[in-house]
Amino acid sequence: MTDTSTQKTGWDRRDFLGGAALLALAIGVPVAAVSLSDLDEKDAPSERQRTMMTQVSQAVLPRTDTAGAGEVGTGDFVILALAHGLDGTREPAGSAEMPWAFPEYRRRDGSLRYVSWLEHELDRRANGDFVRRSPRDHIRILTELDKEAFAEGNDTHPWRKVKGLILTGYYTSQVGGSEELRFELVPGRYDSSLPMGPDTRSWSSDWTAVEFG
Amino acid sequence: MMSEAMQFDAIVVGSGISGGWAAKELTEAGLKVLMLERGQDIPHQTGYETEMKTPWEMPFRGSGDAERWARDHPVQMLNRHFTEYTENHFVNDRENPYQTGASTDFNWFRSYNLGGRSLTWGRQSYRWSDYDFGANKRDGNGTDWPLRYADLAPWYDKAEEFIGVSGAAEGLPQLPDGKFLPPWDLNPVEQAARERIRSRWSDRVLTIGRTANLTRPINGRGQCQARSICARGCSYGAYFSTQSSTLPAAQATGNLTLVTDAVVERVDYDAARGRVTGVRWVNRKDGTRTSATARMVFLNAGSFNSVHLMLNSANEAMPNGLANSSGVLGTHIMDHASTLSAMAIMPGFENVTTFGNRPTGVVIARYRNMDDMDGVGHTRGYSYQGGALQSGWTRGKREAGVGTAYKESLQPPGPWQVVLVAFADCVPRATNRLTLHPTQTDAHGIPQLKIDFAFGAEELAALAQAKEDAAQMLTQAGGHVVMGFDRPGAGGSAIHEMGGARMGWDPATSVLNRFSQAHDIPNLFVTDGAQMSSSACQNPSLTYMALTARAADHAVGLLKQGLI
Repeated sequence: MTDTSTQKTGWDRRDFLGGAALLALAIGVPVAAVSLSDLDEKDAPSERQRTMMTQVSQAVLPRTDTAGAGEVGTGDFVILALAHGLDGTREPAGSAEMPWAFPEYRRRDGSLRYVSWLEHELDRRANGDFVRRSPRDHIRILTELDKEAFAEGNDTHPWRKVKGLILTGYYTSQVGGSEELRFELVPGRYDSSLPMGPDTRSWSSDWTAVEFG
Repeated sequence: MMSEAMQFDAIVVGSGISGGWAAKELTEAGLKVLMLERGQDIPHQTGYETEMKTPWEMPFRGSGDAERWARDHPVQMLNRHFTEYTENHFVNDRENPYQTGASTDFNWFRSYNLGGRSLTWGRQSYRWSDYDFGANKRDGNGTDWPLRYADLAPWYDKAEEFIGVSGAAEGLPQLPDGKFLPPWDLNPVEQAARERIRSRWSDRVLTIGRTANLTRPINGRGQCQARSICARGCSYGAYFSTQSSTLPAAQATGNLTLVTDAVVERVDYDAARGRVTGVRWVNRKDGTRTSATARMVFLNAGSFNSVHLMLNSANEAMPNGLANSSGVLGTHIMDHASTLSAMAIMPGFENVTTFGNRPTGVVIARYRNMDDMDGVGHTRGYSYQGGALQSGWTRGKREAGVGTAYKESLQPPGPWQVVLVAFADCVPRATNRLTLHPTQTDAHGIPQLKIDFAFGAEELAALAQAKEDAAQMLTQAGGHVVMGFDRPGAGGSAIHEMGGARMGWDPATSVLNRFSQAHDIPNLFVTDGAQMSSSACQNPSLTYMALTARAADHAVGLLKQGLI
């Protein structure tokens, strides 16, 4: 359930509910799934941030012969994952290790508010409103950001974590896992050697491959 | 509600790998047995709640709630089998505290539930050899094992035939062949590595892992479906667990009483008779306390918990702990020193792939310090486990890219790579020990266990040599080595913690005799990992099973003769 009215007018309600409940409300998961100890109202995503994360997901993994990441709900998954610290995203972000972690995007526990950081960063790179730019612009802006983040020595760049969670969200979705890739929960047998060609799709259900990357 | 007057022929504390075996063997011999499990009941098949879940059916897509894990499972989450699907098969660390010494880094991985860690184990099943049972005598560390391979061989046969172990016979004296089901196949990369390594080092044998996954149905259990999600629980019964194997056998006799949620806090001892008389436990749900009596007690609570129970069962006659006249109870604990020795990219196999998830990797059997003492700075062995795999979509997390071309690049399987993880023998040391914490208690008021543990120069030297060897072998196999380590993970990382109630010839220096029977108390048996006098470098569970079956046979014989 998404009750957008509370996002626009709900300061009282926001204070009452707290960030965890608002996050749950916004992205449609049970509140019990978002029972965080140190999540405040700043972690409740705005509608704009949800739109942005959906657009960003779609730009990273666009529609090809299968749906893109934004179309299958990856944006909201990333917001949930970041709030819960998946892939180490709730660890303290020291300014020495992560010069991108401006004080205004840090939580009390020292971790980075990735969503707010990304919103600021993309608007800056868009010279204005990233959300209103075209999909083509989104890809261009994100490609530049991605290049910087994956340059040598930038191992702690926050974009790497965000992109990683976009991949997680997409390839563990039904479309990403079983249409873009292949999925078989019960293979029934092991074939140790099969021919592989350029069109061979990997198995998202190959847990060892997923684990070791 | 159980009454205070419950009487049994035998009580088995713990329902894991060795406890299930004890219950099976003793009930099949006609004994009335009470098996106590401290954790929740997880019934076979119906209790495996996430077994058939896809990632998109899970709230965190299988990755789990990192925030909650950091709070409730800070240790357990470090186990590679701990996932969002399996988290209910591991303890809540906050509710099950333990203490460590100031300089100790030890991760104690635990499953408090029916089946114990048999539900989540790695299933690798290896025989030990006389290089292992003779290790202490040869280099003077620890105390000599009071048995040799020949004593255990028939019990290995029995264990393998019942649980089902797939593997390839190789004729290696250091890794004796067993009663194997057909092996899983090596993939082409592993096959090539096997041949290329052996062409240069004739004594280094890469073979398929010997695993307790059924390559054909046996004993009413189904064949492995090549899912490799075993730790969720397997409704096919295709890997060995208490639930799939020993528990149904024990229950079929009509002689088993199973009580779950029963945290045993004490073994009762009658000083006048010199015998244990039963056990007392706390119901973990409502805090009520109950007891039962029996003519013998088998401790199978897991290495550290069996020792903990013996320490906590000190009495007037045995003030330093049950069956501890030697004073060595709790000492000489071990865990394999393990690390990722090498990872290599393997070019030349771009045209091959696989189907299905083989539930085992490969092993390179020990080759150091056998007939030639060729270890550098160490006197024992190490072996490797690992395998060749093709990377999947997660490689994209390390790669630059945005957009269509990037997405398409992640569609096919990625490059082949080989990983080799070394497991090194851990020298038994008196300073590595378990004690009761003097002040900290758990929720039931039971003293917490304190672990003091550190690897020593021998293990560090072994892993240093293992790293060097692994790089050489993977290079010889045609790979490009991209990383390798020689520092061990924290103690406990191999999840092969053992020792603390070691076997030995001499009651003055050991806790148990050659039949896993307490020197001091003839009707007390400890047949889990606590009994181990050395660690070898192989996975120990199959040896626990064989020793348990052997001890049960001995105990039944004594009982029939009226000796206990």
